[in-house]
Formats: sequence, C-alpha cells, structure tokens
Amino acid sequence: MSPRWGMVIDLDRCTGCQACVVACQAENNIPINTEAVYLQNRAIEWIRVERYWDGEYPNIKARYIPVPCMHCSNAPCEPVCPVYATYHTPEGINMQVYNRCIGTRYCAVNCHWHVRFFNFWQPKWPESLQNQLNPNVTVRSRGVMEKCTFCIQRINHAEQNARLDGNRPLRDGEVNTACAQACPTRAIVFGDLDDPESQVAQIANTTTRGYKVLAELGTDPAVLYLKKIDPEAPAHGGAESA
Amino acid sequence: MRKGAMRRRDFLKLVATSTTGAVLFTGCGIGDGDPEREFKIESPVLNPVDLVYGRDNWYATAAGECGLIVRVFEGRAKKVEGNPDFPTNLGASDARAQALVQEVYHPDRIAQPLRLTGARGSGEYQNASWDDALTELGNDVNGARGATLVITPPLSGPMGQVVNEFVRAADAQHVAYEPEDRVVLREAVRRVFGTDTLPTLDLANTNFLVSFSADFLHTWISPVQFSRQYGEFRQGREDVRGTYWHVSSRMDGSAANADRWLPITPGTEGLVALAMAQVMVSEGLVDRAVAERVYSGISLDQYAPDAVAETAGISAEQITELARRFAEGKPSVAIAGSLAAAHTNGLFNLTAVFALNYLVGSVGQAGGIILNPAPPFGSDVPGPSSGLSYTEWTGVVNDLNSGRYQLVIVNGVDPVYGLPEALGLREALANAGKVVALSSFLDDTTLQADLILPVHTTLESWGLIAPDPGPGYQAVALQQPVVNPFVDSRAAGDIFIEAATAAGASMPWPTYEDAVRAAVDSLRRLNRGNIEAADAKQYFMMAQAQGGWWDTTETADSAPNAPETATAAAQPEYAGDPGQFPLYLLPFPSNSLGYGETANLPWLQALPDPMTSAVWSTWVELNPTTADRLGVGTGDVVRLVTPRGSAEVPVYVNPAAHPDVAAVPMGQGHTDFGRYAKGRGTNPLDLVEPATESETGALAWAGTRVRVEATGRKVRLPRFEGQVPAFQLEGAPIIEVIPSEH
Repeated sequence: MSPRWGMVIDLDRCTGCQACVVACQAENNIPINTEAVYLQNRAIEWIRVERYWDGEYPNIKARYIPVPCMHCSNAPCEPVCPVYATYHTPEGINMQVYNRCIGTRYCAVNCHWHVRFFNFWQPKWPESLQNQLNPNVTVRSRGVMEKCTFCIQRINHAEQNARLDGNRPLRDGEVNTACAQACPTRAIVFGDLDDPESQVAQIANTTTRGYKVLAELGTDPAVLYLKKIDPEAPAHGGAESA
Repeated sequence: MRKGAMRRRDFLKLVATSTTGAVLFTGCGIGDGDPEREFKIESPVLNPVDLVYGRDNWYATAAGECGLIVRVFEGRAKKVEGNPDFPTNLGASDARAQALVQEVYHPDRIAQPLRLTGARGSGEYQNASWDDALTELGNDVNGARGATLVITPPLSGPMGQVVNEFVRAADAQHVAYEPEDRVVLREAVRRVFGTDTLPTLDLANTNFLVSFSADFLHTWISPVQFSRQYGEFRQGREDVRGTYWHVSSRMDGSAANADRWLPITPGTEGLVALAMAQVMVSEGLVDRAVAERVYSGISLDQYAPDAVAETAGISAEQITELARRFAEGKPSVAIAGSLAAAHTNGLFNLTAVFALNYLVGSVGQAGGIILNPAPPFGSDVPGPSSGLSYTEWTGVVNDLNSGRYQLVIVNGVDPVYGLPEALGLREALANAGKVVALSSFLDDTTLQADLILPVHTTLESWGLIAPDPGPGYQAVALQQPVVNPFVDSRAAGDIFIEAATAAGASMPWPTYEDAVRAAVDSLRRLNRGNIEAADAKQYFMMAQAQGGWWDTTETADSAPNAPETATAAAQPEYAGDPGQFPLYLLPFPSNSLGYGETANLPWLQALPDPMTSAVWSTWVELNPTTADRLGVGTGDVVRLVTPRGSAEVPVYVNPAAHPDVAAVPMGQGHTDFGRYAKGRGTNPLDLVEPATESETGALAWAGTRVRVEATGRKVRLPRFEGQVPAFQLEGAPIIEVIPSEH
C-alpha cells in the first residue's frame, strides 16, 4: 500500500525562528529573495512563517504559523491547470510538473493558502554559489510555477533504497522533509498518515488540538495544525489582524 | 523553430483542453481509451534519482554550540543538518547553521593572500603568493617582538593552545573580542554560580520560566539548545505545559512566545527581581535565610512592589503575581541577558535575576538552571574565557595610539564593526605598524589590514570545541573539514603555527590538525565517555563519525552555595538629556544576523525578522502612539539623533513596541563584507555613547537616549508582510488559540 504523506505542525511548539524557511531554501534550490524581489512582492518561500498580532499594547501578543503547501486531497489548484502541470500523486502530494507548466498562474489564483509561487525572473546565483545547489532538485526557469513538494526528492530516494532493500515498506522516520528535520522545537512532524505506527499518524489520531486551516472550504488539507495554547487568550479564540 | 510549426506547449494545451487530446492519446495507444488511465501524468521530478550521477556522503562536524552533519555530493557541501547524536542540539539546527554552506561558496570570499597597495581602508589590494605572505608574516613577527597584538574570539581547546604558543614565542599580547553583553553575563555567572562556564537549562522539566530580556529562543547564548528544550517544555509532558513569562522593554522573538509579557522601563530588570524576592520572603514562600544570604547587603524591604512599580513601569499586582507564580510553580527558573546586560546597571540586573534561582532551589536541580563542568581538557589547554570589556578596549586603543604595537594580527572577529565608533578602533589601527588579518571576507577590520591571509571557513576546518554553554555535562564537538577548501585558503591554526615557528618556537604539532588529534587522544586517555575503540586511530575515527566526545556522568559539582555578597542595586544611567532626547535607543541583536557576523550571507539577509518581517535593511521600531505623535508611519524615514551622532532609517510601526523606546536591529551598516552586506543599513552602535556597565566596564550599548525627527522622506521597507495576503478570517481564524489542552 502506498503511503499518504502528511504533516502535523504544533503551533504551541513553534517559536517563529524560521529555521524551516532557510532549510527549505537550501534543500530545494529556491532563488535568493533579494531586496528587489521583496519590493516587488515576489518573494518565494515554499514554507513561510506568518506573524499575527493579537490584542493591543501592553496586552499584545505575536503569534506564529508556518505555512507550507497544504497538499489538499481535493486541491482547488489542480483542476484549473489547462495543461495538467499540477496534479495529485498517488501518495497524496500536490505536485507541479515544471516542464509542463506554461505559466497561466490559474493555480496560484485558485490556491487559498497562497503557497504557489511564480518565477517572474530567471533564477540567478553567482557562479560560486551554484556549487551549493541540490543536484536532486530541478532549478525552475522563468515562467513556471513552483511550490512545496514535501521534499519529493528525499521521498524518492528513501523509496528507492527501500525497494533495493528487499522491496520493504518505508519505516517511519526514514524520510523527513527539510523543514521538519531542521525545526529545533520539533514543531513540524512529517510522515505517512496511513501508517498507524507513524509519529505523524499517532499525533493526528489522538490530539484534541487538531484543526486544518480554512477547513470549511472542503479541500481536505494534508497538513494538520495543533492549536496554540494560551491560558490568557482573548475569548474569541483567534489572533487578529496580520 | 520552423515558422508555423506547433510548439510543444501549444500541443500540450491542445491535447489537454480539447477532445482532440483523447483522440490523439487513444490513437497513440496511450491509456488504451481508458479515461482513468488516459491522463495519468508522471512528473519528471518523480524520475528515478539515479539520473543524478554522483555520490552522497554525510560527515559530522560542528559550529558554535551545535553538532552538525553535512551532506557532501561530489566534493561539494550541499546541506547542513543537526547531528542527532550531539547532546546540545540532538539533531536540531537553526537558520544560521543552515547558511554555513553559503560561507564556503560565497562569491566575495577572499581567494588568495592579498597585499595592500593603496591607503588603509581603501580596499586596494594585489594578489600575493602564500610563500611570500608567510615569509612576510614571519619577518614581521620577528621584527615586532614584544610589540605584537593578537585579537581573536575567546579561544578554548587546541586553537587556544596554538595561539598561546604563538603569543609566548612572539612575546605578544592576546586579547579576545566578543559582544559586550556576553562579558557582563560571564561576570554575573562567575559571581552568582561561581563558574567560568555558562549554565544551561533543563526546560523539559521546568514548570515556570521567567526570562528577563534574554532572547533565549533566537539569539541568547545557545538558542538551538534552548529551543529544543522549549518544545518539550510546552508539549513534551503528558500533564504539564510549562508556563513562560517574559519581562523586558522590547518584545523580542522569545517574548512573542510568552504566556504573558510584562513591558518594563528599560534597565529595571534587577529592580523587578528584587521586588519578586521581597514578595516571596514577606509572604513566607521561600526561606528567608537563603534570601538574606543571596541578597546580603540589600534591604529587600525597600523593594516592595509598590515601591518599584512606578519606576519599573508595571503594576505592583503584576510583580506580586509573578513572584507568587515563580515561588509556587516549582520547578521554576529565572534567566536574564541580552538587553538586561546592556545597561549601566547590567551586572546588577543579571545577578539579581540569577539569584532568584537559589530562592526556589532550582540551581543544579531538575527543571532548573544547570551548571556546566569545566571542559575535559588538560591544564595546558585553555578553557572558557571572556572577551575584553569596553574599558579594557579603551586601554588597547590608547596603546595603539601611543605606537606600542608594531604588528596587529586579527583572526575570526570584526571588532571595528562590533565596537562602537566612539571607541576609535579604526583610527587607532592606523597607528599600528602593520595589520595582518586572517579572514575569509573583507569585513570592516580586515579592510584595515596591510596583509590579508584567507582562512578556511567553518565547514573546511579542523577544530575541537567545548560548547559554552554545554549540555550540563562534559561534551566536546569535533569539527572536521567536510570539503576541501574551495579557494586557496589555509587553516588559521596552521598560520599561527608557522608564525610561531618563524619566531623560534619549537611547536609540538606540525599542523593544526595534529593539535586537534593530540587533544582527541588526550580525551581517549581519560578512559571514559561515549567512544570505545581499540587504538588511537580507531578512537579518532569514531570521534569523527559521532561528531565529538561526551560523558553524561561528568556533571558540575553539586550546586555551590548561594553567593554571600550580592551586587549592589543600581539604577540605569543614560547618555543624553531626557528633554532633548526623549526616547531610549535600544539596539538589539538580529535573529538572523546576530551582532552582524553573518550579514554577508544572502539567506540570512533575506530571512524576515520575527517581529517586523523586515529584511535586507535597518529600521527603527516605534509604538503606534509614538509614531502618531511624530506624524510618521511605516516606511517614513526618520533621523535618529543621539548625543553621539545621527542616522536616517525607515520606521516600522510595531504595535508591541514600548512607547518610550526606539529599537534598532544590529547587523547592518558594514563598510564592505561582500556584495550582500556592503553599504546596507546602519550600525546602531555608531549612535551609542560609550557609557559603560558600572562594575565590569563593559559597553552599556542600551545606555543612550535618542530623539526621532521626521525627514518627510518615505521609502518602501522591504519586508515579508504583504507578500501574501495574511489576515484572520472571521469565524475561521488562521491561528486557532485555546486556553488549555482540553
């Protein structure tokens, strides 16, 4: 049985340090977000950390939420692609076929989580920095969309090793995303939601704090958040404006 | 392409959007007409990985307090991860560790020795050969006996040994640079806990944590270690979720995660701690005898919450509640640092807070503050040491100006940037006969050098590091080169060995690698720790594979007695008349750039600040009411005027900013330091008056007042905010918050 990849992000552990953000950029050959890119509002972060303010000074709090692609089972970005560049893998990953993409950006318009990014420019690194690029990950060219892949190259690598090792199923923890691996508070847990022994499934199946962002849209995200606990939270139960 | 020919994309569009596609695919035999199979698309990213030719290797090494493993593919470092075995970080890492690869392949890395051709500071250099450069250095060392100054970070382990040997051979003076608040912290730890090593925490077992301005999750002494513990502190136990309060005059990235943040007047951390002690003693929550011993010479009765509330800027009720929670929520722990140390009363702030741990019996106890033992090195190998205080630096500058030093050698630090302009170190270096920099980048200090010797970066170097703070027991990280040097650089240790040999010393090791190997062999002879091996060679290989040596049984001696003499209570003093300079200028270490040492790395420049989400720049954080009063908003350029000087920076209106504070991040304002840092932003230390901490003489970098003037100009502040729509939806909040687990 093929796995169903998913993620749990515990907001009560997350401190907003953004180790995940840099780990993702290092693993996935994400172009450097220069000052000019930020000023154009075209920064690319496959996983980002959003900060929300809650309350007013002096009773004010900043709250953090890491946001990768939700890898929705019923993803609104998938059916709108005219060339089937965005599709769902049998293992539950919302995937982007870069050399199929023609850059209509319909998928980005249809994604409510804003986790799809368009390459407005050809990505450039100084020649020496290209030595760091991950050879297992395609560098996306100008004109195509890109997004979180749950580090598909790591999954492929682990699955291939498992096949060579007597065609056994993957063990829990054998594959991990770059963001989860770096996270110093262990707020991010990745794994097979269909493996009842996996850590991610055990958390997802037993937690009383689970929720999915924009769940009412019915897209069935594969990312489960665990609610932030704050004994002094305002009664409305949610952080306010960004 | 032939005119009129169908392009591949057009073809795909056609087949995907029309019934022609189905016909075409069926005609080609694809899917055999089965609509379920017809459009099953395989992504090229799912192609077999063996299309990538090459081989992965993973090597353990170390940087700072963290053990690391690095993916090396065909001789190139690709990715840094935490070493799951190394006890301080247990596999975790942070943004700065991740960015180490960019140091190796940085486009502006110095690739070979350089000799100055223009005036100092001009940046005009010509290439030199290593033979010539080392011969020149040897001659310089011999010609400057008794008149050589060596500036490095505080060194321990074999690097400390090598530099000590050089200093002896060349009859040189050795001084260490580190951020000045660290100097105050070390003195506070010595006074309160009686140790030279910094303490760690046991947050996984803590019930109540109060931090006084210590940004322990992002910038303070060992953030990865503390972050790992923090995850367990919040959610690692079945029945307990640790409670965390933060007391500070600026909401930093740690304070943002606190259950309650108490915004105090700058520099009053110690006062609040004394008021807490007063409450705990007067209400009988703690042993009065212990309190009298810890705070001997201080009459706690003077510091009742009512008496300090107005000065501290928080209510007496808040202080009382904090004290009760701290006393009753055991195991509880109190820490202080960063801004708390950077006032003229920094040592008082820190000692008053750390002493609270004795009152609740949490020193050396589970869930408390855990003291670290001395490193397992022999007596001839230096242990942890402190950097110079600002007052001591003024002595160095005076010596430089008097012409005492004919040769200055700088390695691994950038004091010209890190110390305030008021010190005049840049100008003083002009009076040294010669300046030699052992550096990978043209930072502000290196820019003053006559001779630059490029050194290996972290991932190319040998080293043996005793993390400070360690994990609560003896641990040493083995740093090994995971890739060959990318440019024609040398190990700094080798350069010192060569220079010492030129000065006539008979060095015990031909290379720095040998010094590291000898130090590892001395660990083997201890006959304890995590490594078991038949012989020295195998032992060293095991140490390389595991990333270091540690002995979980070798902890610090049982908690020392509480100190008998407390640091006298002191009020903070500020440079600048409050009438002319109404706000406090609070510089703060940046989450990604620290004190500026990583400003050359693009990933870290591009990493949003946790509070403002600003990137690639310097800004000043103002409270909305303060900004309104000044008539400015986010992006408006203001002039920050202090008694020392002025600078223009854009405003970020921060709803969590203290109304009396203008907070400015450190990290930018480098003269050079490569294309990603050069000429970017402002160094707030250039605005700081050289006020010093009253007892240690360290720079009180938060001891200056400031006036903020609107300029009428406006810029777009580069920041992550606004890149994507991010707002809470009514009834469907993005972040859901609940008051308790159930």
